[in-house]
Amino acid sequence: MNENLKIYNSAFVESFGIPESQLSVLKYQDIIEWDSVGHMGLMANLEEVFKIEMEIDDIIDFSSYNKGKEILSKYNISFNE
Amino acid sequence: MNNESLQSDLSFDIPGIKQCQQNRYPLLFVDRIYDVIPGVSVKGIKCFSYNEWFFPAHFEDEPSVPGFIQIETLVQTFIMTFLTLDEHKGKKTNFVSIDNVKFRRMIIPGEQLIIHAKLDFFRRGIAKGYAEGFVDNQPACRADFVVALPDILRSFKPSN
Repeated sequence: MNENLKIYNSAFVESFGIPESQLSVLKYQDIIEWDSVGHMGLMANLEEVFKIEMEIDDIIDFSSYNKGKEILSKYNISFNE
Repeated sequence: MNNESLQSDLSFDIPGIKQCQQNRYPLLFVDRIYDVIPGVSVKGIKCFSYNEWFFPAHFEDEPSVPGFIQIETLVQTFIMTFLTLDEHKGKKTNFVSIDNVKFRRMIIPGEQLIIHAKLDFFRRGIAKGYAEGFVDNQPACRADFVVALPDILRSFKPSN
């Protein structure tokens, strides 16, 4: 698995306490843990592990696990092998 | 408080604290906030008299301050590190997490808890930091906090 993908997945698992197997289809508010508070915790976590500072529009657009990967590619974080 | 070296003259009495945060009797657990550097650190005082509503129940034969009230006292002091900033004054707060909680001694009627709180991080409505409580200069309790301001978080909600 790509190293960035491992880090990305860990951020979700750590933030929401869910197994990695649930991530691929995960969307905002699909689980009780991903509410507005959980969202900001996840954003803070991702910023810390990837050492980036996300723009407000990107935080608002970050509506799913897959959309998040698309957004992070703007910050030169690649999820390709 | 008298022997401490202070970094700031800014302080808040009960009316001032009530302007900054929305906790009210019987759940307001800090009497005075002083040495305030908004956005950085504050100190707080909580005097525990036997007239507190919880002492007769905790416990009848050996009254002491319940742990959850010590935590509230710590966090109510901690939130003053950012609720003293004009742009956040009076906002509601929610717990996100509490970690590294330690209770080092009992606190009994007649004792005064002095709390030192520091804000390590504040961004987009999420505050991280810690508070430490002392009785007679001895460590009594401490905790690390992550606290959210829901009013600010709402502005970052994904459209879904």
